[in-house]
Amino acid sequence: MILKIAFRNILRHKRRTILSAITIAFGIAVFIYMDSMLAGIDRMTIDNMISYSTSAMQIHTKEYEKEKNSFPLNYGITSELLGWLQDYLTKNPDVNGFTLRTKFLGQLSNYVESIPVYCIIIDPKTDSSVFRFSGCLKGSYFKQSDFKEIIIGKNLAKELNVDIGDYITLYGLTRYGAHNADEFRIIGLINSPDVVINNNSVFITYNSANELLELENLITEIDVSVKKASNLKLYSNKVRKIQKEIQEKFSSLKVNTFLEIGAGIFEITSAKRIGGFVILLIILIIAVVGIFNTVFMSVCERVREIGVLRAHGMKPSQILNMFLLESIFTGIFGSLLGIFIGAILNFFLVTKGIPIEKLGGKMTTNMLGISGNLYGEWNFLAMIIVALVSVFIAIIAGIIPAIKASKIQVKDALRFN
Amino acid sequence: MPILEIKNIFKEYLKGAKKVEALKNVSITIEKGEFLSIVGPSGSGKTTLLNIIGCLDIPTSGEIYYNSKNLGILSEKQLSDYRRDNIAFIFQSYNLIPVLTVLENVELPLVIEKKYTKNEIRKRAFEVIESVGLKELADRFPKELSGGQEQRVAIARALVKNPLLVLADEPTANLDSVSAEEVISLMEKMNKEHQTTFVFSTHDVRVQKHAKRVVTLKDGSIESDVWR
Repeated sequence: MILKIAFRNILRHKRRTILSAITIAFGIAVFIYMDSMLAGIDRMTIDNMISYSTSAMQIHTKEYEKEKNSFPLNYGITSELLGWLQDYLTKNPDVNGFTLRTKFLGQLSNYVESIPVYCIIIDPKTDSSVFRFSGCLKGSYFKQSDFKEIIIGKNLAKELNVDIGDYITLYGLTRYGAHNADEFRIIGLINSPDVVINNNSVFITYNSANELLELENLITEIDVSVKKASNLKLYSNKVRKIQKEIQEKFSSLKVNTFLEIGAGIFEITSAKRIGGFVILLIILIIAVVGIFNTVFMSVCERVREIGVLRAHGMKPSQILNMFLLESIFTGIFGSLLGIFIGAILNFFLVTKGIPIEKLGGKMTTNMLGISGNLYGEWNFLAMIIVALVSVFIAIIAGIIPAIKASKIQVKDALRFN
Repeated sequence: MPILEIKNIFKEYLKGAKKVEALKNVSITIEKGEFLSIVGPSGSGKTTLLNIIGCLDIPTSGEIYYNSKNLGILSEKQLSDYRRDNIAFIFQSYNLIPVLTVLENVELPLVIEKKYTKNEIRKRAFEVIESVGLKELADRFPKELSGGQEQRVAIARALVKNPLLVLADEPTANLDSVSAEEVISLMEKMNKEHQTTFVFSTHDVRVQKHAKRVVTLKDGSIESDVWR
C-alpha cells in the first residue's frame, strides 16, 4: 500500500515530478556525454602518443637516461647489446615490432630565418613497424638509397615558407661537438594528429645523419611497439611486464614506458575527470534542491492525509518510507531519463564523432595535442554508477522532509477545526 | 454500561496573551448505539469537545472513561493505539486519500492493521461499500466522485473496522441539502443496523432532527441535553 501511494503521488504531481527528474536527467546526460568525450580525448591522446611520439616504450642506456633532456650523442647502445636486445624483442610474442632511433637538437634554416627543431634519425626499414606516419604524410617516404632528404612537420614548413622539393639547411652539433650543416631536399610533409611533430620535428635517415653528425651509426634509442589489448589497463600491464624483463636481463639499460614518458598527460587526464565530476556534482546539487522542494511541498500539502494514515495505524517509519520512496521514484525516473538521453547523444559521439577544432578552435587542438575527429567511448560502468549516485542523492534530498512528515502528530494533523 | 463517560472536563488555552475557557465543567455519558448530535453556535466548544472525545486533545482537568477505562492514565502511545482501535473519524472535508480508489480507501485501515488476508480485506471492504450504496463506484478515484459520494466513502472507511465510536465534525457542512440528507440517513442506517455509536456536531437543523439525543453547548457549558 505504501508503495502504491508513493508511486501514485509521483504520477499525481506530474509537472513537479518531471521538473525534478529533468534536473537529474540533465546532470546525468551531461556527465555521460562529457565522460565519453574525455575518454575519447584520453584514448586519442594516448594512441597518438604511442603511434607518433613515444611508442609503447623507449630503451636507452642508463648514462643516456641521465642526460636525455639534451639528447646527447655520447651514449649509444653497443652493437653487442643491440644484438641481444634484437634477439629478445624478436622472440617476445607480445612485441609487434621495434625500430632504432637517434635524436638530437638542431636548427632548420630557409636561408632567411632559422628555427630550432627536434631532429629524429630513423631507420626507414623498421620505423613504420612502430610509428604511423604513412597516413598523414604528404609527398613521399624515405627510400633505402635516400640521402640528404628530409621530412618535416607541416606547420614547420609553413613557418619557414617551404614546400616539397625545396632545399633547406639543417644545423647540428656532431658527435664530437663540432658545428656542422648540410643541405636537405624536402621530400615529405607530416600532418599528424600530434601537433608537436607538425610544429617542430624533422626526420632524416641514418645515411644522412652519419655524414652530418659523424654519427657512425650511433643508436641512442630503441622504440618498441607492443601488441594491442582490449583496454588500456591490460595494455599497460603487458608493457610493464616487458619493461621489467628487459631491465632484469640487461642491467645497463633503462626502459621508459609511455606511462612514464606521458605522466604529465595522465595527470591532465585525471584533472579532466575530476572536472567532469565537479560539473556533475554542481548539477546534482541543483537536483537536490529541486527534490527537497518537491517532497517538502508534498509534505506540507498532505498533513491531513498523513494524519488519516497515522490515525489508521500507519507507523512513523512507514510514513518516512512512503516519502522516501517518492524521492527514490523521482531519482530512478530522472536517472533512467538521463541515461536514455545521454545514451542517444553518446551514440552520435561514438559513431559520428565531432571535429575537435569546432570544440574550441586551434587552441584546443594544441592544448590537447590531438586533431581530427573526436570519437566518444561507451563506459557502461560509469553510467550505472552515476545513476545509482543520483538515486542516492535523491534519497538524501528527500530525507529531511520525510522525517518532518513522520514526526507529524496525528492529533495535530487530524484535529477537527 | 456506558461506552464513554466525561466527568467535569475543563479546557483552557491561550489565544495570544488571553486565556480562553473553551469548556467549562462539562460532564456527559454516552451509551453504546447512541446517535448523538452536539449543537451550538460558533465558539461554543463543539469542536473542542469532539477533539477531547476523540483523544485528539487533552483536557486541562477532568476525567474520561472509555468502557470504564480511565484514559487520563494512558501514555501518548497507548492513547494513540486506543484511538486507532476504537474510534473512527468523519471529517467535513472527507480527507480521502486522493491517489487511492474508493475500494482502496476503504481497505486502507484493514491493510494497515495487517490482521486479515488480502481476500478477507477485499470481502469486508466490498460489504461496507455496498452498504453505503457505492458498489458501482468502487474503482473510481475521489476526484471522480461528488461531495456526497466522497462523504459516503469516508463513512464506509470509518465503519470498516467496526469501531466503538464514530465522531463526525459537521459531516454535511460541505454538501447540498439532498446529499446532506443522504449522508445523515446513511449514518442513521449504520447506527440502527450495526449499533455503532455516532457523535456528530452540526449547525444544520435538518440534520439535527435525525439525532436521538441533542446536546446543546453554549459558552463552553452544556446548556441542554435532550433525548428524543
